[in-house]
Amino acid sequence: MKDSNGLVFSGSVSRRTLMLGAAAGAVTLAMPNILRAADKPTLVTSIRSLSNPYHAVWKTGAEAYAKWAGLEHVTLVSEGNSEKGIADIKAMLAKTNGNMVLSSDPNDTPDARPIVEACAKAGAYVVTQWNKPADLHPKDFNPNYVSHIEFDGIASGKTIAEILFKTIGGKGGIVALGGLISTTAAIERKKGLDAALAANPDIKLLDFQVANWKSTEAFDLMGNLLTRFGDDIKGIWAANDDMGSGALEALRAENLAGKVPIVGVDGIKTAVDAVRTGEFACTVTSDPLWQGGMGLAIGYNAKIGKFDPAKEPPEHREFYGKAVLISHDNVEEYYKTNVESKPEIDWNDLWGRVTGAIRA
Amino acid sequence: MTIQTEPLKSVSDIERTTLMTFLPGRIATMLGGRRWRRLAPLAVLVVLCILITIANPNFIELRNLVRLANSAAVPLTLAMGLTFIILMGSIDLSVEGTLSVAAMVVVLLAANDSNGNDYGWWAVLAAIASGTIMGLISGLVQTMLRIPSFMATLGMWFIGLGLSVYMLGGSAIRLNDASIRDLALHRFLGLPLAVWVAIGAFALAAVIQYYTRLGRHILAIGGDEDVTKLSGVNVTRVRIAAFALAGFFFGIAGVLAAAQLGQSHAVIGDGRLFAAVTAVVVGGTALTGGEGGVVNTLIGVLIVTVLANGMILLGISPYIQQTVQGLMIIAAVALSLDRVRLKIVK
Repeated sequence: MKDSNGLVFSGSVSRRTLMLGAAAGAVTLAMPNILRAADKPTLVTSIRSLSNPYHAVWKTGAEAYAKWAGLEHVTLVSEGNSEKGIADIKAMLAKTNGNMVLSSDPNDTPDARPIVEACAKAGAYVVTQWNKPADLHPKDFNPNYVSHIEFDGIASGKTIAEILFKTIGGKGGIVALGGLISTTAAIERKKGLDAALAANPDIKLLDFQVANWKSTEAFDLMGNLLTRFGDDIKGIWAANDDMGSGALEALRAENLAGKVPIVGVDGIKTAVDAVRTGEFACTVTSDPLWQGGMGLAIGYNAKIGKFDPAKEPPEHREFYGKAVLISHDNVEEYYKTNVESKPEIDWNDLWGRVTGAIRA
Repeated sequence: MTIQTEPLKSVSDIERTTLMTFLPGRIATMLGGRRWRRLAPLAVLVVLCILITIANPNFIELRNLVRLANSAAVPLTLAMGLTFIILMGSIDLSVEGTLSVAAMVVVLLAANDSNGNDYGWWAVLAAIASGTIMGLISGLVQTMLRIPSFMATLGMWFIGLGLSVYMLGGSAIRLNDASIRDLALHRFLGLPLAVWVAIGAFALAAVIQYYTRLGRHILAIGGDEDVTKLSGVNVTRVRIAAFALAGFFFGIAGVLAAAQLGQSHAVIGDGRLFAAVTAVVVGGTALTGGEGGVVNTLIGVLIVTVLANGMILLGISPYIQQTVQGLMIIAAVALSLDRVRLKIVK
């Protein structure tokens, strides 16, 4: 696992490191509070699993921030089990007497409420990301529920569509591969595509098909679409990179790779490599490294009184983060700073990536 | 070569013939009875092809037929293995797990972007061997521990899946070995090599079913296991061999899938179990065992592939494609099985 797949694995840890970390954490927790510099809060990250590259990178970002700030950091993994996720957080609250900052990607939408309520009760500071019920608001739990961060699926779908349209010269036919019909991300990204299509009447959507986020399904689907539309297909819009890479292999089997540009969302390594070779026109990523570190940074700064959450504007309490676009123009630089080496993030710039308040 | 046994119809059978079983039976009789019914899947395939061609002549373009063959390659290889198991009256649910283990092995041992291995075609052999071993274990668990094939192979499915997740670290790893990727990218006589491999798998399966003792014993077990046992067949050995054989075919399919996608991830097999079972059943092989065979399965795979291709060509909305598939399964099974003769419908 050398630098060649650094992006995907930049956050991965060997099992030994993980065990050492866990053991070290356990030992630390067993110490009396006095030995742990009682005035400094513990940083806690709660995520779904370490077996997917996304959350592995998230953890790296959280650790990078903790190191930068000189604080203790603990990672809790729910393994997709909401009960376990909430119970672990409550256990941490008890251990730290509420002297902690939590950055959480709740396993499921309803989980956010008990997590936030437990933190508020114990006096801990919490930042949630991606999942929360629509009627749960940070402003109702001042000052403990600091912020909630999401990424705008409509904007992502629209941005990549616009780049695709530009790449094919503003006119011609495209096909679109959507995600699992019922998921929010699939619905939002398609809305973004529709918005871009409405603004570009010369682009014709030949067909919209669903490949359920999977490269295998996209592979078969793309072959069939090539039969139906043949050379009329000038570009391919995919709701995630995995489907985009399946479509790319279907093109490759027909000697069309690189001739029909593809766009996707997520910034997985296959896609970044394909952007470098010109087979993908672009991909966007929510930058999990930033998410992992900044979730803690925002909570910690509120905790130590750098800012008062109650006085912050709404777009700092519930906001869309800025997705990072990886296209032909910046892919070499992105590769150098994110794949070949660890990127530098300014952890003092709390609101630099705020793009606006979350739609009600 | 299936041995048709015509049970004597008892009075109670006729009494049992209600309207529901009467109607399809009557239609089949009008069409000429059982002989014709056996050709029903083929008729469905031909009718489908004609209808799709009328709607969109692109369908019979050579380029599209090549694509059809290409997307049928993996399902056909999988379904070859599964046919033997279903002929025995058992089921193998480990399709996805075994396939993902084989794909994982070939990618991790051949040149890839995660480790320094570069064993070339040895990786392919290792992948097929690992598939065979998985099948062998299923067979041993089933016969030695006396666990029904449904449960034994369900367990193997998750064991295989877990193994792949662990080895691949939850991510997708790319296959960089050019000669293995040529299975999907290189063409011989206009067809990708993967298609030739699938045709080879079909030929092998046909030889095994029609010209070997193992093939006949498998069919006999499906027909009546007790009678087979009394005739002196070592049923245990045949079962273990059949599951290992199925694993062998799943292993080949795993290699083809990895070569086509140019990568392997743990969920590379997602949805393939359902597709394979559908193809076998639609082709006319009975889930109760003892009836059907690899030729039926070939037609079943083609029906499923042609339908998927046709629905895209006809521009059927993705929101109702699954519904069409479901209707087709029911229709095909209703046409191809002699429901009147079924005493019990479970």
